[in-house]
Amino acid sequence: MATKFDLNDDSLVVIVGSGAGGGTLANELAQQGIRSVVLEAGKRFTLDDIENDEWSMFSKISWLDKRYSSGGWHGAKNHPTLPAWIVKGVGGSTVHWAGVALRLQEFEFKTKTTHGEIKGANILDWPISLKDLEPYYAQAEMKMGVTGKTTGMPHLPWNNDFRVLAEGARRMGMNEISSGPMAINSVDRDGRPACQQIGFCMQGCKVGAKWSTMYREIPLAEKTGKCEVRPNSMVLKIEHDKTGKVNGVVYVDADGKIHKQKARVVCVAGNSIESPRLLLNSESSMFKDGLANSSGEVGRNYMCHTTAGVYGVMPEPVNMHRGTSVAGLVSDQSHNDPSRGFVSGYMLEKLSLGLPFLSAFLVPGPTGWGRGVAEALEKYKYMSGVWICGEDLAQSQNRITLHKTEKDKYGLPASVVAKTPHINDVNMTNHAYKTMKNIYESVGSKEIYNLPAYPASHNMGTNRMSEKPRDGVVNKWGQAHDVKNLFVSDGSQFTSSGSENPTLTIVALAIRQAEYLGKALKSGEL
Amino acid sequence: MIFNWENLIPKISVNFITNKLSRRQILKGLFSSSAFLGLTAAGPIKSSLANAPKPFVFKDEDRTFLIQIAKDIYPHDDFLDDEPYIEVVDGILKETSTDEVLRSTLLVGLSALNKDSKATHGQPYVKISSYGAREAMLRRIEEGAFFQKIRGGLLFGLYNNVKLFPKFGYEGSSWEQGGYIDRGFSDMTWLPQDPRVKGDKK
Repeated sequence: MATKFDLNDDSLVVIVGSGAGGGTLANELAQQGIRSVVLEAGKRFTLDDIENDEWSMFSKISWLDKRYSSGGWHGAKNHPTLPAWIVKGVGGSTVHWAGVALRLQEFEFKTKTTHGEIKGANILDWPISLKDLEPYYAQAEMKMGVTGKTTGMPHLPWNNDFRVLAEGARRMGMNEISSGPMAINSVDRDGRPACQQIGFCMQGCKVGAKWSTMYREIPLAEKTGKCEVRPNSMVLKIEHDKTGKVNGVVYVDADGKIHKQKARVVCVAGNSIESPRLLLNSESSMFKDGLANSSGEVGRNYMCHTTAGVYGVMPEPVNMHRGTSVAGLVSDQSHNDPSRGFVSGYMLEKLSLGLPFLSAFLVPGPTGWGRGVAEALEKYKYMSGVWICGEDLAQSQNRITLHKTEKDKYGLPASVVAKTPHINDVNMTNHAYKTMKNIYESVGSKEIYNLPAYPASHNMGTNRMSEKPRDGVVNKWGQAHDVKNLFVSDGSQFTSSGSENPTLTIVALAIRQAEYLGKALKSGEL
Repeated sequence: MIFNWENLIPKISVNFITNKLSRRQILKGLFSSSAFLGLTAAGPIKSSLANAPKPFVFKDEDRTFLIQIAKDIYPHDDFLDDEPYIEVVDGILKETSTDEVLRSTLLVGLSALNKDSKATHGQPYVKISSYGAREAMLRRIEEGAFFQKIRGGLLFGLYNNVKLFPKFGYEGSSWEQGGYIDRGFSDMTWLPQDPRVKGDKK
């Protein structure tokens, strides 16, 4: 029997969102016997809903509620209402993530110490180090099933598309070339099958070989009887008592009915756009600039990685669509080497697109047509592709704000996502384009396409961790500096983006936060 | 259904003269694949007259004109025959029977394009033999609703069309066949294999 908790039960932890952060936190709490309600804005999908069809799945699972792009990035024009490409559904963006499960590097926790002041940027050290997080990374890798040392699972077999990147990188003298770590089973494990090289990882894994809270953490949490997941429940506002402690959330259900769920602790894990939006929308007479925002940093320092795509036409067929979408990484450029003309580094991650998406992205926006585009698409079979994922420096003006007049379908002010690349990002992107040109030319490509950033799937930093309350929103446990029983449990905690895909770090932080919450709840501190 | 344009592109209508979205239309929803594509697609918004029977105002020459534009947007000269372009154009023309905004958009768009063509080259668009000249005229209107309606139809009708996937070497949905684990996910012979396949330790 599915557990049901009373709206007036004020002993519960209320978790907003069910993705990498929220879904993991719910299960970690449930395993400790701590009761929680998960309010998820999206619906519940099953593996039967997963199709190998790019546009169909885009329509089905994406977060398409009203949002606006702004700032100097190309998407302000070419993706004006789709700044981010994330999922609305139980499991959140772990439904469509590609499975790359990298740890952040030591220097990436110490951005300020490593780089010093950088003009135009608002960088800061995390209040934790790699050493603090290592045990939780290991736990996350075991739970998610990450190929490599921790689990002993071999990395995935190399598919055609990755072999192109790997050989090109090798010819260019690189040697950090690997088909992992990936949170995709290379052998049957944990009740889930091995990868069948189906492709379409970012449309949802049809067989569940890729880790997702949709079919791992959420069912495990529910099985304990300590967790109730309420899909189609969009949280409108977090409320607080006279002392400034939060005491519940107001949400709207599938029928448009508004409820208040009381809470002992509230954990916000709605992704780096929704989480700050919720805090800003929760303004009150006591918290006039939004909840937990005495620093003014809520919504600021929005980071989405310095990204770009490169597609090369190879001399022989590749069939990049065959197999795991991102199973292959080159890390040689991910280290900090300012002699390249920028600080921090970037990953090269093999990324295949199907013909439907490639036709939309090869030249994005209204100008992406004509003979050149058509002729390139005729060579689809010969194409190989890569995604560049680099450090995106925190900048104060890259931020989430509330639209002054436009409201979403729930009547909440819509979010405006402002993003302007820093010169460091521009230099890094150009360096990465050049690196990829060399790599693809070394394997015989004579035709190479540079693609600008896609709508962001990696969204980070808008409620960042800081040692001092004036520099950020939450402390090293993800606990709001201003409100003791309010936590942030998603990627919006990130102080820096690093060059690694964020999911593993979000999961590690959630496991660590659950441990802290468990102690604090038992001791009566919360 | 293969070509699911109707479900994918939201019902956004664009004022074809000012090319600006009305506030109501923005409120109605700009948040689907059209935003993704940067399209400002004209789509069916039904007015009070929408269900009234309308004379079919498009002539054969309009259809020929639209097909030429379609082929100029994504030219695949010897690669594709005309059929998929015709399907897209006929689909759009069919929509005009219930969508008077779209009907006007097309009529005004065709007329404006021919006006430009006559002014620039002294003859109608379909008589211009140079692709470059035709492309230049389309580039001038590429951000407008007329152009993007046709382009949006083509993106789905050419590149999201299961019937045409084999032409491009794209194989579409694979899970029903067990993925590619036994069907060539790593069948390239012109570059080295995964080092582990030869027994190398990685």
